[in-house]
Amino acid sequence: MKTNFQSPQQFFRQRRLRLGIVLAILLVIYGVSMVLVNFQTLASLMQVPAGLIWLFKNFIPTERSISYLGPILYQLWRTLIVAVSSTICASLLGLILAILGAKTTSPLPGLRLVIRFGASLLRNIPVVAWAMILLFSFKQSDFTGFLALFFMTLGYLTRAFTETIEDLDGEKLQALQAVGANYFQCVFCGVLPEVASTLTSWVLYMIENNLRDATLVGILTGTGVGFLFNHYFKSFRYDAAGLIVLLIAVLVICLELTSTQIRRAIA
Amino acid sequence: MLKVIQLDKTYGQNKHSLKDVNFTAQPGEVTAIIGPSGAGKTTILRSVNQLIRDNGGKILLDDQDIRQANKSELRKIRHHIGMIFQNYNLISPLTALENVLHGRLGAKSTFAGIFGMYSTDEKQEALALLNEVGLGEYAYQRCDQLSGGQQQRVGIARALMQHPKMILCDEPIASLDPKSTKIVMDILRQLAKEKQLIILINLHQIDIALEYADHIVGINSGEIVFEGPSQAVDDQVLQKIYRQADQPKQAVTANEN
Ligand SMILES: Nc1ncnc2c1ncn2[C@@H]1O[C@H](COP(=O)(O)OP(=O)(O)OP(=O)(O)O)[C@@H](O)[C@H]1O
Ligand SMILES: [Mg+2]
Repeated sequence: MKTNFQSPQQFFRQRRLRLGIVLAILLVIYGVSMVLVNFQTLASLMQVPAGLIWLFKNFIPTERSISYLGPILYQLWRTLIVAVSSTICASLLGLILAILGAKTTSPLPGLRLVIRFGASLLRNIPVVAWAMILLFSFKQSDFTGFLALFFMTLGYLTRAFTETIEDLDGEKLQALQAVGANYFQCVFCGVLPEVASTLTSWVLYMIENNLRDATLVGILTGTGVGFLFNHYFKSFRYDAAGLIVLLIAVLVICLELTSTQIRRAIA
Repeated sequence: MLKVIQLDKTYGQNKHSLKDVNFTAQPGEVTAIIGPSGAGKTTILRSVNQLIRDNGGKILLDDQDIRQANKSELRKIRHHIGMIFQNYNLISPLTALENVLHGRLGAKSTFAGIFGMYSTDEKQEALALLNEVGLGEYAYQRCDQLSGGQQQRVGIARALMQHPKMILCDEPIASLDPKSTKIVMDILRQLAKEKQLIILINLHQIDIALEYADHIVGINSGEIVFEGPSQAVDDQVLQKIYRQADQPKQAVTANEN
């Protein structure tokens, strides 16, 4: 990038020019893709209200749907358990991998590359693909869903934890080394207290995220509230399906509120 | 007594940072290392407790060569060498008391260290040390809620918790205001006198060095150019230590095109 400018005016003119070009390119890309998918922006926008009204009419839970509450709550509970347990297991293993793989704490430089590569592989396979692959070996069960979420979360959290640990000022650890602390003492007395609150935030975020994903995965693995949704949906019991959506939303919001509270408490 | 003999350090292939460095530091004295930026002060200090692996020479602390120590010996030696830093390097979410107790880690088993199993005596001592540096009432405060000067005093208490023979200080006052500077430097001088510690300190402020140090080591481009009592430091000596440093490289102010 050019760093010498005759005057500030010239610099800002160039800035504006660049911004203009970027916007123009985006517009062109938008136009081309519209033509390609044959999508007429206006016509589709017009249909949105009608679609929403149809949704509201059919998906609003009625008194009749209350009878479904029992099974729904039970499956919701199972889905929550799958989401939470997969996240907790993945974060424990992820923490160990992150400590072994982070630049500041890795005992073996070679290990770093292996862990980085592995984590990025795990993370870049979509959770749905994980579920479909695992279905072959583990059939339709909660465990398949657990594993799919576990692998994706492991990849994600290992990466996030590694970066958190690497952001830590290496001098703080040197200060402990200088005291005579050994490797494990440095990790447990220095690294972990420093990163604990950030890591907790990540874990809470992943639990929220995995609750949503667990619902989706449930459709594939035939378990949990996702399966129930699919089942009601296919048998035209839209009000029950609507109740599920509502309950999931309530649960996710509760979860978010709780984790905000926890985050605030530990910050 | 600390005796550094023919210490040599090369970073990478040919970046010679320390060349034939010799000096001594006595117990009961404050020894200050002064010199321009990039001269090698930090490198010397970190070689002394082997945070940096040097390339040759001897570092004798009470006639034991630190450079020859194996891993577990080095841990024991480090346990008796305190170190304080320009940016304090405390574990910030932990309390002042916990940070002071970290000074015991070098003497603890891995297990006891990890689970923070400190004896009542150790806890009492840590509290007493915090009182000694004037921070008794902050014992249970998170360290990142303390001021810079207070954090540095926690750092000193952590070093004292090691029952040190020597304390290494790498620009301990560079981030402090004059008042905190005086508090910290007074504590360090007092420690040298009362506990007969070796205090080895890197300083940028010549006036502070001359005021507080008994012994001055001047370094320029990795070579010792002066060693002697602080009374012997005059303008000529200072010029020798800081030569070239007074002519900054042509700054990037010129309009090149
Ligand atoms: N990790 C490193 N890798 C390569 N060169 C280094 C490294 N650390 C220091 N050096 C070089 O070694 C020389 C001495 O550095 P050192 O940090 O000891 O100087 P200093 O006297 O402490 O400077 P300052 O007063 O700015 O802290 C410098 O030229 C520096 O560029
Ligand atoms: Mg330095």
